[in-house]
Amino acid sequence: MKPLYDLHGIRQEFGNRTVLDLPALTLESQRLYAVTGANGAGKSSLLQILAFLAQPKSGTLTFAGSAVETGSDLVALRRRVTLLSQSPYLLRGSVAENVDYGLRVRGIAAHERQSLVRLALAEVGLTDFSERRARALSGGEQQRVALARALVLKPEVLLLDEPCASLDSGSAARIEMILRQLPRRGTSVIFSTHDPQQGGRLGAINLHLAAGQIVSPPVIPPISLRQEKSPWLSVLTMQEA
Amino acid sequence: MDYLLTSLGAALSMIINLNHDVESAVWTSLYTSLVAIVIAALIGIPIGAAIALGRFPGRRLLTTLLNTLMALPTVVVGLVLFGLFSRQGPLGPLGLLFTPWAMIVGQVVLATPIVANYALAAVAGADPRILPTAMTLGAGRLRGTWLLIQEIRFGMMAAIVAGFGRVISEVGVAMMLGGNIRGTTRTMTTAIALETSKGEFAFGLALGLVLMSVALIINLFLNLLQED
Repeated sequence: MKPLYDLHGIRQEFGNRTVLDLPALTLESQRLYAVTGANGAGKSSLLQILAFLAQPKSGTLTFAGSAVETGSDLVALRRRVTLLSQSPYLLRGSVAENVDYGLRVRGIAAHERQSLVRLALAEVGLTDFSERRARALSGGEQQRVALARALVLKPEVLLLDEPCASLDSGSAARIEMILRQLPRRGTSVIFSTHDPQQGGRLGAINLHLAAGQIVSPPVIPPISLRQEKSPWLSVLTMQEA
Repeated sequence: MDYLLTSLGAALSMIINLNHDVESAVWTSLYTSLVAIVIAALIGIPIGAAIALGRFPGRRLLTTLLNTLMALPTVVVGLVLFGLFSRQGPLGPLGLLFTPWAMIVGQVVLATPIVANYALAAVAGADPRILPTAMTLGAGRLRGTWLLIQEIRFGMMAAIVAGFGRVISEVGVAMMLGGNIRGTTRTMTTAIALETSKGEFAFGLALGLVLMSVALIINLFLNLLQED
């Protein structure tokens, strides 16, 4: 089976600063990948390139066996891959109109769109929100509308930039549950996260970025071990002694 | 004071009784301005959006030029187009001079830079996430730009209203290219100028009141839309 993405010598620069430097990276299809790293490590830049929204400064990118080049039909490629950004932009109008947009762009018939929108909203737990004004919803609800708007398109790849950052635990748990199921339904998932444990919780393959390069993720000791070694614990023990 | 009050009374009576000359001038003003603003919007909005979104050499110069064109004197536009449309002019055979269409062309020239500038500012100040959102949901460049324009429709509406305000209130183009012909090219503004100079102050006042009312109605309409 052809790899989903094949990146060779991909570099991205802003001004004189190199934000991404990936000599070789292969991502398989129908997997769940977690991209971790500190702020400015290159997570968003990588997702932008994988979403075909930004062109790397140099290097070659292959998607599902075909090279993505200057002359490539980017609109056709973008219809196979959807990016959900950290603070998604919701269109003026209702929740249903938002979820419907991508389907309309694809020229899908109105009656079919209606039922697809309904299903997608049910999936994210917003069945009764369809006629509500999208921008009047809470942050967590807006994130779920944006997720429904992406899911309804059944993309081959769903890219998510910090999907659970600044969400209440209920919304975050719901999104995590959906992400975990997606690879089995044929959608590969690549998401960035600040939470070093989120990838593990979802059974994702971890890609750790530091200064634009893939490095081994820092080993996080189990909580029990950390407690034993905690300096505070040592202080307490000394005081008791 | 009595003179003003008597004139105001006469003016209101002309409006209420639908004085034929008042009605004709109002109609000419409205339809020439409306046709002109539709054409100016169709030209100006894409120009403004293209300059705001494009990255090409000379972009800055073009923006400065567009800014300058906003201050284009109406009589200069009238003069140049008069030269083009007059019998000896290159567009003379079209027979447009002293017709509503000549006025419309002049008004399009006046309104387009205004619409384009306002559209440019609205697009440049739009949320930078709109285009990437449209693109990642599968829209092409053109469709994405259309979504952008829809999302900033209030800015676009302001562009159209500003352009409309310019053309419905101008005198130079209407006078020089229309010729102020009663019943065909006499607009509210040319009639006000002419009738007042003839001493028909009440008539001028009636048209002035209608002109102000049109501006008020358009702004009320815009406000209603914004509350939506």
